[in-house]
Amino acid sequence: MMSNELMDLAAWTIKEARGAGADQARVRISSNRAVEVGYRERKPETIKEASTRNLGVEIFAGGRYSSQTTSDLRRNAMRAFIANAVASTKLLAEDPFRTLPDAKFYEGREDRDLGLFDPGHGAFRPEDRHALVKAAEAAALAEGGKDVISVSAQSRDSAAESVMISSNGFQGARKSTSYSLMASMTLQDAGDRRPNGWAYAVTADRKSLPSPKTIGREAAKNTRLLLGAKKLKTETLPVIIVNRMAGWMLNGFLQPLYGRNIDQKQSFLLDKLGKTVGSRHFTLIDDPFIQGGLGSRTFDGDGLTAKKMVLVENGVLRNYYIDWYYSRKLGWEPTTGSPSNLIIPPGSRSVSDIMKDLGRGILLTGFIGGNSNPTTGDTSIGISGRLFEDGVPVQSVAEMNIADNHLKFWERLIEVADDPWIYSSMRMPSLVVDKVVVAGV
Amino acid sequence: MRQITRRRFLEATAKAAAAGLAAPVLAHGWSVLPSAAVEAGYFEREFGISDALCRKILGEALSRGGDFADVFFEHTVSNWIVLEDGKVNRAVSDIALGAGIRTVKGDQVGYGFTQELTESAMITAAGTAATIASGTAGKAVARSIAVKNLDSYPLEKRLSSVPLESKLPLVLDVNEKCFDRSPLVVKVTAQFHDQERRILVVSSDGRRAEDLQPRSYLAAFVVAEKNGRREQFYANLGGRRGFDFYTSADVEEIARKAVDDAVILFDAVQPPAGEIPVVLGPGVTGVLLHEAIGHGMEADFNRKNVSTYATMIGKKVAEPFVTIVDDGTLPHMLGSINIDDEGIPGQRTVLVENGILRSYMHDRISARHYGLEPTGNGRRQSYQHYPVPRMRNTYMEAGPAGVEDVIRRAGNGIYVQDVSNGEVHIGEGDFAFYVSQGRMIENGKLGAPIKDVNIMGNGPRMLRNIILVGNDFEMSRGGMGACGKSGQAVPCGFGQPTCLVKSLTVGGVKS
Repeated sequence: MMSNELMDLAAWTIKEARGAGADQARVRISSNRAVEVGYRERKPETIKEASTRNLGVEIFAGGRYSSQTTSDLRRNAMRAFIANAVASTKLLAEDPFRTLPDAKFYEGREDRDLGLFDPGHGAFRPEDRHALVKAAEAAALAEGGKDVISVSAQSRDSAAESVMISSNGFQGARKSTSYSLMASMTLQDAGDRRPNGWAYAVTADRKSLPSPKTIGREAAKNTRLLLGAKKLKTETLPVIIVNRMAGWMLNGFLQPLYGRNIDQKQSFLLDKLGKTVGSRHFTLIDDPFIQGGLGSRTFDGDGLTAKKMVLVENGVLRNYYIDWYYSRKLGWEPTTGSPSNLIIPPGSRSVSDIMKDLGRGILLTGFIGGNSNPTTGDTSIGISGRLFEDGVPVQSVAEMNIADNHLKFWERLIEVADDPWIYSSMRMPSLVVDKVVVAGV
Repeated sequence: MRQITRRRFLEATAKAAAAGLAAPVLAHGWSVLPSAAVEAGYFEREFGISDALCRKILGEALSRGGDFADVFFEHTVSNWIVLEDGKVNRAVSDIALGAGIRTVKGDQVGYGFTQELTESAMITAAGTAATIASGTAGKAVARSIAVKNLDSYPLEKRLSSVPLESKLPLVLDVNEKCFDRSPLVVKVTAQFHDQERRILVVSSDGRRAEDLQPRSYLAAFVVAEKNGRREQFYANLGGRRGFDFYTSADVEEIARKAVDDAVILFDAVQPPAGEIPVVLGPGVTGVLLHEAIGHGMEADFNRKNVSTYATMIGKKVAEPFVTIVDDGTLPHMLGSINIDDEGIPGQRTVLVENGILRSYMHDRISARHYGLEPTGNGRRQSYQHYPVPRMRNTYMEAGPAGVEDVIRRAGNGIYVQDVSNGEVHIGEGDFAFYVSQGRMIENGKLGAPIKDVNIMGNGPRMLRNIILVGNDFEMSRGGMGACGKSGQAVPCGFGQPTCLVKSLTVGGVKS
């Protein structure tokens, strides 16, 4: 389906909803075509291909609200679906805060090209996909050495279009493509241990994707580093969280920034606006306008015009994620309801230079399990990585744990490296945190 | 079930709707059925999916020489109602409709799916699946014969026949009971979820299996405040349950657990860090088994030789009092399935029998690889995914020890009462689970509460280190448990008796 077809269906849905008794409505429709090709043992293991279309409609009726999604787009089914949705919405409790946004927040949108759509996607043929995956697998095998048990590689690409319109005048459309390539390896280690490591990248355009050779080699390298892992004695050490893993730690800090968490008192950042929540090295920015950024956008889920926003500035909390509904409930100005791209501005030194400076510590390359309590900030997680001494990695470590509280953790952020990980909407550099209790034996 | 013609049934539905008796949130007009039993032929009746059409689709799927093909139809209607600040002011619903076609060649899989159940769309998807093979000769497609449905979750009344008005008081009641329970409660959100998942699997070797898989839960999330500090907790009950399951006593139980477990956290201490004895309380702590052994025993990892358990079948892995089972047939449990998503009947699979490793969990591909029968573990999140071996309800059977003895034997350690999530690295066998509620054990007695701590171990080593198993077996009665693998989430059940693990690594803050 092309954008204008999606737009027509969205307009039809709004009309049906109003016809069935809704006062206002907002509709989102997305259409996506994705192809996956996976290889193992030098032959295709999986081939998967499909198109999807999904429609979501939010209904505002008599001060009441509901939200529905469906993949059943047969018109007669849709009619029944919408009529039922409106009828049941009217049975809910009235909620004075639930409205469509004030249309002034739709204003000022620049429909600029954010580099999210690769016009060359149509020319990405099945044989290109197979060649890419084969090359990644071959590179991993070549680099893996004699202990290789298994190597697999996978490519996934998609082209998507979506539209959103609301009955009070919002209209937005978006086209995007994505390419991802992954390789993973299992090696035989001592006893029954078979460490598995991986590497991947995902980009909006094909030419930004690293070469399959790079991905394959990286997967082999990452896996070899897991060999001979030991659990060390419990010790308090500086820890460097490598860039591709740093987003996990940040996630526990993000959820408490949401309007819902603030309103429902499930946030350790409640009452912390303007206060210190981390060290001077901790600056966190939401930037929707990064070229080719996987979270880039010109409007958010409410239709609010996207803006760059500083969340944390040199350790001081400056903003929350406040969507339209919770802005009304809290009596605050809306910001945006969800993250776009998140960046911690990179530092000036490489991880290896920082390691030399620190002398002894843990280079944290993997997480396992773990969770974070948004109300209290308590967090605990399993880790694996490399112990370094005199600035040089000397021993792989696994089956260890760290436990902390976010309000104390970010205070001990002593440096950020110069290496932002660009294959994620969270473009994190490696983070250096001092005095972490690393639990082992 | 009582036979009823489609016409009479539509009339009955229309009358009920007109009288305001039945207002299924978002179901189609025809989805209010008079009986709770699994009625066969749903996709044929509603979408014209005949056996002849399936054979045509499967013929296309095998047109390039695949060994085997199947087509999976799904129609799932899910509803949530949400209470916040004392009002049920949000309803969310989702309808998933589609069909996925799989072609298997050896251990290779081709997969295509469509959301339009039209012949041309399905033939196109089948053509995509077929490309995993590169020959020409198509295998013959057998006429399908219905697989017997076990009926492990019969309901008095279908979830889709419960009108929204009936659900509202349930959620309001849990809110009220939470606030009544303690003056420290400052916020409550509550929700009721119900889902009906209808599936039909037809395979090229002539199996036709159909199921209606209900699922529901009632949940409360509580925030308590004391001296400017806040703590949160939650509780839920559910499973493959009908609406009548949720009695006033259940609502009471949810409120009691959510509130008491939030309030007790004001007294919680940080546990020590390092290797210490761990006692797992009964029920939901079975997440430990799910991570420590369950995933490693899924046969796809073993046929690829990437699981730490790949060479351990027939070997002693635990003490003789340890028996671990994965079971799809427990009545009304969240992970129960009458048939799996490949059309194989749900069954009971013993993974560890009296300490000996007995069987992996198989889908059709791994079963053929090992020359065994599939175990009914082929599951998928939806029609958008091909099935892979997955757990159902995984639990350890009761042992001989008294519960107090188990705690006493731990000496100094920690007691795990509630677990929120876990993860495993299949190849290393290293696993983790997150303790949201527990106690210190001091001199063999339960002490101060603890919270928010990750615990790590190694699967095979942990199994050997289970030194005492209690006689208080319990299944988790929760309805929210889901397991993720290969980007797919499926509902799973957990259970176990109280047991003592000699040592695990606890991620506390004190050295």
